[in-house]
Amino acid sequence: MKKSQTENRKQNMKAKLKQLIVATVVGSQFALPVLADDNASTNAAQLQIPAYAADGSSGSSAEAAEIKALKQQVEALVQKVNALEQQRRPAEQAATIQDLDQKVRILARERENDQDAVVALAKTQPKISLGANGFSFGSADSNFVAQLHGVLQFDSRSFFQDGGANGNDGFLLRRARPIFSGTVFHDFDFNFTPDFGGSTVQIVDAYLNYRFNPELQLEAGKFKSPIGLEHLVADRDLLFNERSLATDLVPNRDLGLALHGDLFGGVASYALGLFNGAPDYNGTTTNQSFQDDKAFAGRWFFQPWKNSDLGGLRGLGFGIGGSYQANHPATNTVTGLTPGYTTDGQQKFFTYASGVNASGAAWRVSPQAYYYYGPFGLLGEYVISDQQVRKAANSVDLANTAWEISGSWVLTGEDASYNGVTPLHPFSPHNNQWGAWQLVARYAALDVDGKAFTADGGNYFANSAASASGANAWSLGVNWYLNKNLRADLSFAHTEFDGYKGSAAGVGKQPENVLFSRLQLAF
Amino acid sequence: MKTLLKIFLAASLAVSAGAKEIKLLNVSYDPTRELYSEYNAAFAKYWQANNPNGDTITISQSHGGSGKQAQAVVNGLEADVVTLALAYDIDAISQQAKLLPADWQKRLPNNSTPYTSTIVFLVRKGNPKGIKDWDDVVKKGVTVVVANPKTSGGARWAYLAAYAYALEKNNHDDAAARDFITKLYKNVPVLDSGARGATVTFAQRDIGDVLLAWENEAHLAVQEFGTDRYEIVTPPLSILAEPSVSVVDKDAKRHGTTEVAKAYLKYLYSDEGQEIAARNFYRPRNEAIAQKYADNFTQLKLVTVDEEFGGWARAQKTHFADGGIFDQIFQP
Repeated sequence: MKKSQTENRKQNMKAKLKQLIVATVVGSQFALPVLADDNASTNAAQLQIPAYAADGSSGSSAEAAEIKALKQQVEALVQKVNALEQQRRPAEQAATIQDLDQKVRILARERENDQDAVVALAKTQPKISLGANGFSFGSADSNFVAQLHGVLQFDSRSFFQDGGANGNDGFLLRRARPIFSGTVFHDFDFNFTPDFGGSTVQIVDAYLNYRFNPELQLEAGKFKSPIGLEHLVADRDLLFNERSLATDLVPNRDLGLALHGDLFGGVASYALGLFNGAPDYNGTTTNQSFQDDKAFAGRWFFQPWKNSDLGGLRGLGFGIGGSYQANHPATNTVTGLTPGYTTDGQQKFFTYASGVNASGAAWRVSPQAYYYYGPFGLLGEYVISDQQVRKAANSVDLANTAWEISGSWVLTGEDASYNGVTPLHPFSPHNNQWGAWQLVARYAALDVDGKAFTADGGNYFANSAASASGANAWSLGVNWYLNKNLRADLSFAHTEFDGYKGSAAGVGKQPENVLFSRLQLAF
Repeated sequence: MKTLLKIFLAASLAVSAGAKEIKLLNVSYDPTRELYSEYNAAFAKYWQANNPNGDTITISQSHGGSGKQAQAVVNGLEADVVTLALAYDIDAISQQAKLLPADWQKRLPNNSTPYTSTIVFLVRKGNPKGIKDWDDVVKKGVTVVVANPKTSGGARWAYLAAYAYALEKNNHDDAAARDFITKLYKNVPVLDSGARGATVTFAQRDIGDVLLAWENEAHLAVQEFGTDRYEIVTPPLSILAEPSVSVVDKDAKRHGTTEVAKAYLKYLYSDEGQEIAARNFYRPRNEAIAQKYADNFTQLKLVTVDEEFGGWARAQKTHFADGGIFDQIFQP
């Protein structure tokens, strides 16, 4: 029984060993079909297996020897299989890694291409921007641009010691101007600016500008006559609520066309135009004029060190503006003369006598200069406005003169400039930022040619009982730039008059003292 | 006063008189960067030496897929001249934007194609996939890099070269050719918008086994990256690629550059222009110069679009227009 059990165990062992060997060899045959060089020894082992398996009658020592031999062969086979598997694995892995690497590269490249396509697409899309500089909508190539800007000025004027004059204190909407501007076909700019402020709605600017290049441009329509330095300051960048007495002698907007441009990178600029010929400054401008004689107006302005390294001189600019009209006649509806010279408080202190018309040549000359260095700014100009006037059969040539000088100092360190102040730290009390603060001062004077009062027996062309022959004004103020768009101003102006001999409580009877305030939104 | 005004006006206008600085924009296709970089310098020198006004000339380049570039001109890119990959793209400018006459090709010799090229294979060093001919390109397991024929002129030439091969091989059996081109584009994993982009994909991003490239682009790639990395394989049959050039009449007239634009293109046919083309691996039209640079160009059978496809208009409509064969066979 015991022998039988032993025999059975041996038989089982042999059978299991045989199965293991066969499985191993067969497995290796399936798994490693390409390793033909190793087949010889493998086959040798296979050939010996049947011999052992069939030898069921061998004795125990022989069996032990056989088992030992078989074990050795199995171990050899296992080692060989392991070695072969080790040889194959890196090749498989390398192929897999290479395949994955290509897939990753392809995905990365597709992403690159997608990003390029997005960038390329963006270049073809219209551009829309909304910010401190207003609203802008443009084609991708910038050939067509439409912009919306605006200026809103809410003022107050308070007159002191005005001789009991009524109705001159109060709040007013000084300017309320939406500004539509833009570009069509790359080189053609346009601007259309109505004004809903004041007592009448009017078109302030309406013009086209063709840019051949920065040096040569042609502007046509209604726009500022290129003469006065202070007059050419943008309304949003004025130092005071109102321009000075010097601007009383230059024309406001006029209808015409002008060649203009910047030369040598802005070192010199010029404008030369042909206009209807507007009278001395008139706040209410016209959109038409029917007269045969036209006015030439022009201006040269130089900033020789604008692009130099000389910091102290970069902000120096000077020039001269002027106009000439051979015959500035009256028409059926207008006198061709200013409706009057006004003070800072916009009160008329001089008007021509009734029946006086422009008649004959008119010309103006205005030497002008400014200087800006860091927070400091200085601007000055002198104007002669010469006009032949006629009343009935009498005529006289009147040369009225005016000048002004204004200074500014930005307390918070920002640079002053002809184009205003941009706060370094926009108003934000939570962040302890308070915008930019600027002190401003101005002195201006206007002198009406004495002949207006003395010629032809006196008080013929102007009446000293109704008009002053001159005015001198000083102003002080402080401007607070909350940010690029918002501004609050406070200023005081004092004006004294010469030559007023009226007995009534007229403007020239006593000095004018006005406290101005302004809240401004500009974008 | 009048004298003063005259002086003022004269001074104002004087800034625009005298020697001019002429600016020229050449809108070209992708792989011509090196060619026109060299040619523009040569032409500027030639122009300054030969015009009495002492005008200086600055030539700007714009490059991209030829089809895309043509569309950019149609959409407003103000080119003085176009030097595109194929005549059809310039025809598109003429037809869609009317910026130049329909017969623009007659204005310069050789149908306004001052140089030619063809499509070859750029493979990795040792040519591990054994690519010798078009049949090898469509084998399973071969990854092919080529640009999108919808946007790239070079890719359209490559597509037509492969299609022409299939037609020749299969007795002009169109179904067989279509099957062939389908297999080819199944091997294309990514489509760049231009030929230069495809070169970047193959050479710099290490994608694919073979790049179907302009002959000049393949040579430049080998020059730049080295013969130890890439090899050029010229198939026995390919297509005669004829890049075309033209003045964009209306834009040039608007810019006042018509005269210089014409001279610019005419100079491409000069000995110097042809030498520069040959040095940049474009096949020059000038026989003598072609002979001089014969070593640069392997001889092979070149079929033409006119012979094989009935001209560009027909080829475009059949293969590349929306809903054409390419749209039918290519699955991204």
